[in-house]
Amino acid sequence: MKMSPELKQAQENMAPGVITAEGFLGTDRRPLVDIIEADEEKMRLFEIGFEEAHEKMAYLLKEGRRGLGDPITVDDTWIVRTDEARGFLPCPFEDGVFRKVTATVTRRETDSEITFSELSLHLLEKHHFLQGTGSSFRIEPELLKETLRL
Amino acid sequence: MDALFLIGPLAIAGISAVLAAVISIVDLIVNNYGECRIDVNNGKRELEVTGGAPLLSTLAENGIYLPSACGGRGSCGVCKVKLLSDAGPILPTELPYLSDQERADGVRLSCQLKVKSDLKIEIPEELFAIQQFDGVVESIRDMTHDIKEVRIRLVGPQEISFKAGQYAQLVSRPYGNVKTAAQRAYSMSSVPSDRRHVEFYIRLVPGGVLTTWVFEELEENEPIRLVAPIGEFHMRGTDACKICVAGGSGMAPLKSIVLDMYEKGLTDKQVWYFFGARTRKDLFYVDELQEVEKKWPNFHFVTALSEPQPEDDWKGEVGLITDVLDRYLKEKVGQDLPKEGYLCGSPGMIDACVRVMQNNGIKEDKIYYDKFA
Repeated sequence: MKMSPELKQAQENMAPGVITAEGFLGTDRRPLVDIIEADEEKMRLFEIGFEEAHEKMAYLLKEGRRGLGDPITVDDTWIVRTDEARGFLPCPFEDGVFRKVTATVTRRETDSEITFSELSLHLLEKHHFLQGTGSSFRIEPELLKETLRL
Repeated sequence: MDALFLIGPLAIAGISAVLAAVISIVDLIVNNYGECRIDVNNGKRELEVTGGAPLLSTLAENGIYLPSACGGRGSCGVCKVKLLSDAGPILPTELPYLSDQERADGVRLSCQLKVKSDLKIEIPEELFAIQQFDGVVESIRDMTHDIKEVRIRLVGPQEISFKAGQYAQLVSRPYGNVKTAAQRAYSMSSVPSDRRHVEFYIRLVPGGVLTTWVFEELEENEPIRLVAPIGEFHMRGTDACKICVAGGSGMAPLKSIVLDMYEKGLTDKQVWYFFGARTRKDLFYVDELQEVEKKWPNFHFVTALSEPQPEDDWKGEVGLITDVLDRYLKEKVGQDLPKEGYLCGSPGMIDACVRVMQNNGIKEDKIYYDKFA
């Protein structure tokens, strides 16, 4: 599918070194629009709503803040570590800036774990972008469902 | 036959070359803003510059360095200037960083504002003291599993003058897939009396452009550039009891401040320094500060672990640093003493400490911390 100029610019912004050292695409060489479409299909397959996922992840990130950078137990189910570095990250879609807040959520029962940032929450909610295959911050739908008990 | 076969591709190549040349010529004409004059602080500095580049880099080329936590990428909002002349409407890329009041006052982001005509700008006077330094990495030491100490010997200029607590912007070089240099702000942990060196504690940020460079690429004896000194975080010369709190690489400015006070003989001041970490392996520079504590009766160094492990054999305070701070403010730090707060750490830690300090009677305008962005 043809990409709009905005999507093309977003894909350029996702390259390594532009916003983060690693970038947002990992080893994925597909056009951004194809990556997003494929992940929308995956989320449908696993019956996960983007809004539902966003709400849960935002809740856990917020709860994790109480640890001031150290892991804490949330709802007796997850161990969450929410960390923050100074500075901001702009969204590659150029529609906002976000604090460098990262949460690592581990489900106690299964040890399954996901890591995401405030920016990746925004990318998931507003752009349905879960990051490219191989990216350290990629949100894999199957792992998301398992870890968050969606 | 072969010659005929090449006519098509050659024609296309020729047309492309002509079009590229036309585009270059048009670009030179349209984007040529000629010579422009920039008046800084009503005649304090007057610059004659070639227009077209962002104001931030134009000023830097003329020896005026504005703070920028993102190196001019438009993602930190730090590089603000007050515009006293017209330079066109505020750009969409500036809007997220400007309050309504700032917009009304003519504040702009210098990394987004291109110099296209004569400008009159106003910047804080202290920014004239900021210089660019070239140095050599003298040593890199592991302090914890995710914090390195980087010590730099200055080469040009050879000496720096700064207040303990201020920060510098380190400039990385391109590496790996990162094609451009980046700038990030780090507090200086060295004492101001050592004018030939600057030192930093740098914590690895997952995915961070500059910290990844420090941890994976930077080597001893490598040249390095920095811009300094910057910032308003420094010890105030009052008689108030100083309550200092830090976590992780937040140790840097407070170490500089404490050692500077000791060197200058300001030991009549009461100073409480609370340093928090999760486990023993996250602590560093503890022995050195405990040595200072032995020599300076009014200096109290309190370390706290939030989740000490059995192998830590920890006998010190346990709990989040904010809880320990709260307990000490209520039970141990003189209730009648006027107090000031000095904080350095993650924004979350700072917010939490500010609340604890205010709940214990320390006024908001007496709580100091660095807002890098």
